[in-house]
Amino acid sequence: MSKPALMSLHQALRKSFQTLEGNQKVWKSVLADCSPLMGSLGNLAEQSRALSNVQISNTPLRDFPDLEERLRFKLSQATDTVLGKLNEKTSSLQSVRDSISNQVSAVFQLYEQNTDSLDLLAVTERSATAPSVSDMLEWLQDAERHYRQQFLRRKTLLLTLRADDLSLLESAPKRWKSLECPGAEDHITDTLCKVSFFTESQ
Amino acid sequence: MEGDITVTQANRKCSAVTGSTRKIKDNAADWHNLMVRWEKLNEDGFNVAGNLVNIRLTRSQSDQLVVVDESSSPSSAPSQQTGGAAELQDECCKLQDVIDRMVVVVKKMERLTASQQGFQDLEEFQFGLEGRKCPLFHSWNTKHFNESSCVLLDSFSQELKLKQTILQELAHTATSDLCMVYLSCWLHQPFITAQTRLTLEALLLETGHHPL
Repeated sequence: MSKPALMSLHQALRKSFQTLEGNQKVWKSVLADCSPLMGSLGNLAEQSRALSNVQISNTPLRDFPDLEERLRFKLSQATDTVLGKLNEKTSSLQSVRDSISNQVSAVFQLYEQNTDSLDLLAVTERSATAPSVSDMLEWLQDAERHYRQQFLRRKTLLLTLRADDLSLLESAPKRWKSLECPGAEDHITDTLCKVSFFTESQ
Repeated sequence: MEGDITVTQANRKCSAVTGSTRKIKDNAADWHNLMVRWEKLNEDGFNVAGNLVNIRLTRSQSDQLVVVDESSSPSSAPSQQTGGAAELQDECCKLQDVIDRMVVVVKKMERLTASQQGFQDLEEFQFGLEGRKCPLFHSWNTKHFNESSCVLLDSFSQELKLKQTILQELAHTATSDLCMVYLSCWLHQPFITAQTRLTLEALLLETGHHPL
């Protein structure tokens, strides 16, 4: 068994979990920023729907010149603004995903380079403070997969939205919320707790 | 000490601008302040209008329930209804108050536009129909200022009319779609366009309130 190989693998794992922890926080805060935006998107769609349902010429608003066009323009402008902000948020989500993916693939690369010098015992052995290398690699892979899938699902949802398709916009907040996966997030938090002694030790 | 110096410098700079230039510059600042005040009033009014619609819609729902329940409990229904009416009246008064203050803002805007017209008349009197040879600020002539004022005043007068109509109708509207349209009209102000804001910005740039 090669001690330096194991040491450097441990070091890389530590770094990965630290990256994961930081990125999990960023991810959560970006998602928290998204939900009010999604809310306003649904609300704007509701307003556009109401405008379509009302025949302005039969209401007291009939005396105002091109009111409907003006209001519709304002609504689509506001929708555009919200969609633009959501797109910005998606790029933040993308950078979280990229950062985690890069880190995890770097650890796996390091592991594969050193497989010859790491015997079965070295990768499966665990202590009171440190989980086994194989467990940690698995957890990292799980977390990486979670963020990769989450990002793709959310990005796809946003890509299908169009300012002129009201029913899609109206259902967007609900569908966005249904993508939430608290189980997987909790799992990552649990993992971070399990490795906390390990990441803090040097 | 330093503060005093800057104040005197500012004073000197101000006193260098006199006559029509001074007045037009002040008018531009007034336009800005009035529009800020309008935005604040619009926000306040929107909250009141939102409450109003909520009360109105829950009331019309409970009215329907009352019709259904009439046989079972005829005594409790009217008191509930009058309670809603008082609340509704209260919110209507608040909204009226907001609109009254908006009327004051638009009145002031009218006065600004009138004084702008005054400058143009004065200039025609002083320099003839072509106006003055060199511009008061960067490039605009007095007519240009006058046109900007008219554009701004038009937007806000039309918007005020729209809001007055909404006030009259809001408490009597039972269909949720129409209520929603009233609310979104109030919020999005269809007659205050990007052009309105650009006109103000141009005015502020020209008069030097915003650096070029």
